[in-house]
Order: sequence, then C-alpha cells, then structure tokens
Amino acid sequence: MSRKILLHNATVPGIRFYDVYRREGGYRSVEKALKMQPADIVEEVKKSGLRGRGGAGFPTGLKWSFIAKPEGVPRHLVCNADESEPGTFKDRYLMEFIPHLLIEGMIVSSYALGSNVSYIYIRGEYDWITDILEEAIAEARKNGWLGKNILGTGFDCEMYVHRGAGAYICGEETALIESLEGKRGNPRIKPPFPAIKGAWDRPTVVNNVETLAAIVPIINEGADAYAKIGIGKSTGTKLMSACGNINKPGVYEIDMTISVEEFIYSDEYCGGIPNGKRLKACIPGGSSVPILPANLLLTTAKGEKRLMNYESLSDGGFTTGTMMGSGGFIVLDEDQCVVKHTYTLARFYRHESCGQCSPCREGTGWMEKILKNIEEGKGQLSDIDLLWDIQRKIEGNTICPLGDAAAWPVAAAIRHFRDEFEWHVLNPEKCRTENYGLAHYADPVYVPAAV
Amino acid sequence: MLHCGLCLKYNDMPDEIKKDLPANFKITIDNITIDVAPGTTILNAARAIGGDVAPPAMCYYSKLEGSGGKCRTCLVEVAAGSTADPRPMPKLVASCRTTVMDGMIVKNITSDKVTDARNGVVEFLLINHPLDCPICDQAGECHLQDLGYDHGKEGTRYKFARRTFVREDIGPFIQLHMTRCILCYRCTYVADQITNKRVHGIVDRGDHAAISTYISKAIENDFSGNMIDVCPVGALTDKTFRFKNRVWFTKPVDAHRNCKNPECCGKATLWLRGDEVFRVTARKDQWGEVQSYSGKPGWICNTCRFDKKKTSDWNIEGVTPISRHSVIGANKYKKLEVPQETIQEVMKGIEPKLLMNIHNVSEVNNPNIHLSEIERPANSGDFKKAGQHIIGDGESRQWGMKPLNGKEQTNEVD
Repeated sequence: MSRKILLHNATVPGIRFYDVYRREGGYRSVEKALKMQPADIVEEVKKSGLRGRGGAGFPTGLKWSFIAKPEGVPRHLVCNADESEPGTFKDRYLMEFIPHLLIEGMIVSSYALGSNVSYIYIRGEYDWITDILEEAIAEARKNGWLGKNILGTGFDCEMYVHRGAGAYICGEETALIESLEGKRGNPRIKPPFPAIKGAWDRPTVVNNVETLAAIVPIINEGADAYAKIGIGKSTGTKLMSACGNINKPGVYEIDMTISVEEFIYSDEYCGGIPNGKRLKACIPGGSSVPILPANLLLTTAKGEKRLMNYESLSDGGFTTGTMMGSGGFIVLDEDQCVVKHTYTLARFYRHESCGQCSPCREGTGWMEKILKNIEEGKGQLSDIDLLWDIQRKIEGNTICPLGDAAAWPVAAAIRHFRDEFEWHVLNPEKCRTENYGLAHYADPVYVPAAV
Repeated sequence: MLHCGLCLKYNDMPDEIKKDLPANFKITIDNITIDVAPGTTILNAARAIGGDVAPPAMCYYSKLEGSGGKCRTCLVEVAAGSTADPRPMPKLVASCRTTVMDGMIVKNITSDKVTDARNGVVEFLLINHPLDCPICDQAGECHLQDLGYDHGKEGTRYKFARRTFVREDIGPFIQLHMTRCILCYRCTYVADQITNKRVHGIVDRGDHAAISTYISKAIENDFSGNMIDVCPVGALTDKTFRFKNRVWFTKPVDAHRNCKNPECCGKATLWLRGDEVFRVTARKDQWGEVQSYSGKPGWICNTCRFDKKKTSDWNIEGVTPISRHSVIGANKYKKLEVPQETIQEVMKGIEPKLLMNIHNVSEVNNPNIHLSEIERPANSGDFKKAGQHIIGDGESRQWGMKPLNGKEQTNEVD
C-alpha cells in the first residue's frame, strides 16, 4: 500500500464540509504558510520538485518564479479545473470529494504569488461541482480563511469560481484566460507568456487542480519529505484516473515508483483485465498522448520495466515511448479496434479545435474523414501515408498544443499499429464484423545487444 | 531564460534590460543582413529587405493591431535566437508575431522545413476552399490565388465534399461568401479598431467556425467597407461591384476627393472601364495593405466607396502603378487616353448618317418592351413588332432571319 498524501482522507464521511475537513487537520498549511515569506514558499515548492499535473509536467516552482512583479499591478492565480481530456477525471474526484483541499492549496499559492483575487476556472459540464466549490468557498470565507486580513497577517484573498461553456480548448492556459476575461476562448500567441501578461494583461499563473492541491502536503510536511516520495525528477504522488478494459476503473493515487504492469494487474490498483482478456494497447496519460502497444508499454525499448513516472513513460521519445500527460490511463484489451479508437479521438479533436489557425482547423477535419473511411472499410493504402503526412504538417505548426495533441494519437497509432490499418484497408468487408485482435502487439520487444 | 527572445517581447521588457540592448538590431534573413529597430517583427524586417525573402502573410495586417499568427503561412525557421543566446528555436515560428533579437539568424526560403510546412499550410487552406475563382470577384487580386500559385500543387489529395455554410446577408454593401473565408480575423480587427461598434464576429468553432452577425443583422457603419479591402480572399466583396466586371479588365486610377468625414482619408483608387467607375477601393501598397498617409492608414468611408461612382466626384491623379507580375498589370494603361474621334475628319464635317437602322429592319428586335411587364418567361414573340413588314421568304431563309424548322435545316446541311 503506497502512501497517500492527497486522498488519504477522501473517504472520511463529510470531508466535503469545513468542520470535518478542519477536524482532520485541514488548513494547517495556511496557518504555517502565512507565517513564511512568499519567496520562501516559492523556494519550498521549487525544492519539492513538484511538476505541473495538467499534462506538460513543467516544474511548478520554476513557473512561479517567472511571474513578473511590476509595481501597482495586481497578479492573479487561476486554477485550471477545465478538465476535458478524454480519459482524465482525477480533478473531478478531488474537487467533488475534498473541495477544501483545493481551496487550501490555492490560498497558500495565492499568498506565495501575491494574488489577491484568484479564480477557479471550472469546466462547464461540472456544474454540480461548481456548487460544491462555491459552498466550500463560502464556508472558508465564513471561517476567516478568505477575505480581508486573513489570520491577521494583512493578506487579502478573494476566490471566485468561473464556469466554462464546454470547450476543451479552454483548458489551454491562454485560451482559459481569454475565456475568463469573457472573450472567445482562442489561445493567445505566445510570447508574451501569462507570467508576464495574463488575465487583463496582468501577470498570471495558471495551475492544474492537482498541482495546487499538492501544495498543501508540501507546506505541511516540508519540501524535503515530499521530494523523498517518488523517484528521480518525478517527486510526490500522482493521481491516475484509470478507465477502459480493467476490473477496477477509478482514481488512484500512486507514488511514481510502481511499474505499469503492477498498476494494471495488481488488485490494489486496476485489478487486471476483465474476462481473462489480454492487454493490447494503452494510453497512459489522457487521449492526447501517444498510444503504446502492450509490449512497449510494459517494457521500454531497452528491455527495462516501464515505471509509472514522467521519465520512464517518455523513455525512448515518441518512437518507442509516450508521456505521463494528465494521468488519464486508458486500457484497451484484445477486442478493441485501434483504428476505430483513433477515429474516435480524431473526431473529438476535430470537434474541439478552436478554428483559429489553419493547420489544426483544416487538418483535424481531414484526418477524421480519412479515418472514418478506413474504419468503414472504404480506405486505400495511400490514405495511411496521407494521414501520416497530414499529422506531420499539423504538429508543431500551430499556435497552441491542441494541434500536437490531435496529431500525436494518429501518429502513434500508425507508428505502432500500421498493420492493423492495412488490414482494415485490405479487408473492407471483414473489418466491419471482425477484429484484428491482439496480433503480435504483446510479443516480447526485440532488444538489440548493447554495443 | 526569462529574457531571451523566446520568452519576452521587446515591448514587454523592463527598461533596465532595454537600456543594455543596441539601438539597432542586426538580423540575418536568408543570408541577407539588415539593421532594424528593436521591436520590429521578423516579417517586417523581411519586408524591409523585400523580394522573395518576405514571407507571405494571409492574416497579418500591419495596420491592424493584434492581427497575425493565425494562418501560419509566414512560418520561418530561427536558426539562432540572438547573439546572447544563439540556440535555435525548437519550432518554426510565426514571423509576423515574433520580434527580432540582435544577431538573430532566420531562414525563410533557404529552409526546406519552412517550404515543406508552408506547402502544407497552403494545402490546408485550399482543401475546403471552393476554388470558384472563375465567378469570384476577388480573382485577380486574391492573396490566396497568389499563394496557391507559389506554393500549391496542381492536384488535391482531398477526396471529400468541401465545407458549405448557410448563406447570410450582411447588408446592402458587403457580400459574404463564407465558403471562401480562411478565418484570418482581419475583418473583425477592422470592425474593432476603425469602426465604432463591431456587430459581426466569429461564431462556432473548429472547421465550422464562421464569420457572422449571429442574428443576421446588417453591418451598418460608415467604415464597414474597409472590411472588403482587408479580406485576403473573396469572402467579403463589394456588393455594388458584384459580377459587374473582372478586376483585370478595369483600369485602376488614383483619385482623391474632399470628403466631409474627418476620419476618411479621401484618397482612393477608382477602377474604371472607359469613363465608368466600377468600384472604389482604398489605395494599397505592395503588400496588399492599405497605404498609410503621414503614419495613418488611409481607410476610406462608405460614402466614398459606395456612393461616389462618377468620375466627376473625384479628382483623378493618374494611373495607379501595378506590379507587372499582376494580372491587373496586363491591362495597364500608361495614361488615360480617349481614342480620338476621326469620323468627322473623314466625312469632312458631314454628320454621319445611319446606313441602316437595325430596329427598322429586324423582325424581332423591339426595344420598347420591358421585361418586367411580361409575367411569364419571355420568348422571341414578345419582341416581335406588331405589323412588321416581313421580308420575302426566300430572302429571310438565306440570311437566317426566320427560325428554320428541322426538316429544312437537314436539307441545308446536306
């Protein structure tokens, strides 16, 4: 049983409410942090090695240290709760069951960054969580954790929940800021980065829900204790939202030392694949990260066991590796069709592209149509190369990472599952009733002898 | 890391950093070095060099603040960020929105990566474009056409139906063709920045995003016509010029008038055919943008653009210089020349007399008939003159003046 530091009291009855949360030791970190200097908190977060949990894994302390501090200009902290990645639902769990943990983390972070007005930008579809958060904020305000002169330190902090209107793109930080300002949620062109000019042209830091919640244990237990959990540069714990063909889907808090195999098959986590099926493929970090076949998922190209952390999952780059992403762990068993799966993702990205820059606007739609044809057995072999060429021309040429996120799943599917695509093209009738199955995707990886 | 060219725009830099920077930045684009003022974008530096070095720009418009970065045709490779930090930038950057740094080395047409990416972008822009150039009023001065000639392929790999939209009427002056739009956002910036109130914008998202007034409101503003000038494609065209002529048949002349509107610059280009003014536009520079006069963009008001359609309304300055590579230049006139009337001279002062009045001899050509008075579809019988003397049968057959029946026709062919 690995140690839980975020969800350890998630099952305590009534933890949603202030009284229980406070009784269980809540808001200790605010008491401690407000006695520290803001710069020391930033140092502490830097020392903890906490990396952004939203997907990119950028060191949080470093991000905080970039914030510009011009005289007389207010700064803002914005919590990115626009969790819309297919397969990711960890923030939902955290906000729904322990909303005060997020608020506590945000008060500490607001103090560290000098933000007197902080926002939680929440996904529009999470409307009931908006109510939970607003209730929690009201409770916190009533008990003196928000508002003017918190704990007599002279620090003022207000917090507002802002509901999005159901756009995946508003999870991109600059699009989120635009949406928060009341504009159309188009990503901005960077530079300037939000740390210099963010919401209303003021320095702004946008952090994921889980990142801000992780500030609480860092302050409570100290950066060194936090950094000891985990391995290498993947410190602390990570929430994984597991779904797909597994016995026990749900949100799991892992320390990043366990192997992928253990995560899928052990009873403590996903509990294996139902009905005795075999593992075919997996997307370990939410829909936008590259899909991996079973053999490459469990062992790296070097023949080592793949672990559930940032470095190990991305071992081998995109050729043989993938990414930690936002922790949306999607498992596919041998009955799943990778072509159909890729088509579903392409349809999602086509629907969610903001339409601002041309490669993403036109390319995502094109890819979706080609994939639909292949899926329905109307494709040609040249379509596979065409898909590869389209994704190559989208990736890296767009304003925001949505273009990359749309290109990577298609690229990875063709890279690792090309024969399944070809089978679809060559067996147009069969592919509509049968499945390509596991094929060779679980065969041991050939490891070239070290030179 | 904070203060390299990658992260911080020059304008956002604190003063103490600005102070240490040289007054002029040296930037090398395609092996040509030029000195530019700090804060200049790569695109504008390339335009200062000119020629093929300047990347194409479909969405960037130097007179509109905040424009650019969207179409991705101006992507360039930055081989070295600056003298201080000579690392190359990891991705291709949009040259219209990236400011130069001292010692920056940029590759545009010398980079295969750029050419490849740009060809890709052009392909993306064209897959859903209707390619209805033969009936498009923008043809001949369309930036997408130019871009297609430079970077496009002759065939398409797109096998699907092109995107269509529900047609929307946006008022009496501007014709909106959403199928042709490339979503450059220029028209929204015009509406934001030079008109008082914007009533149109982008609705929806992704590949079904559209320019719309949302509630089908007419765009009524004194300066709304400038949206037509900034549109790089034929999505917004002049309704008063619609289907009237092709731009390469009309002859552009510079003209000005004393416009009462203080915001209007009064300097325009008239597009003439003979003495008839077919269209009035703002004057454009070599990049297809509205020219500036003493630092102010020369926008023109709707009165000048849509109402003053007579040469007498304007003081004509002379023929607009047009690039010889343009199709408009193919019809370029050196100066306004009215052909000299010589018939008086030939006739030695005698008034010319009609040799034959076609209306008198024709059976059918009755010019007094108004089509609006005919309720059903008109046919030749409606134009037949009552009591017209019919020329003898044989004669008419010979000249083909009377419709022939099938049998006779066959005989004739034989």
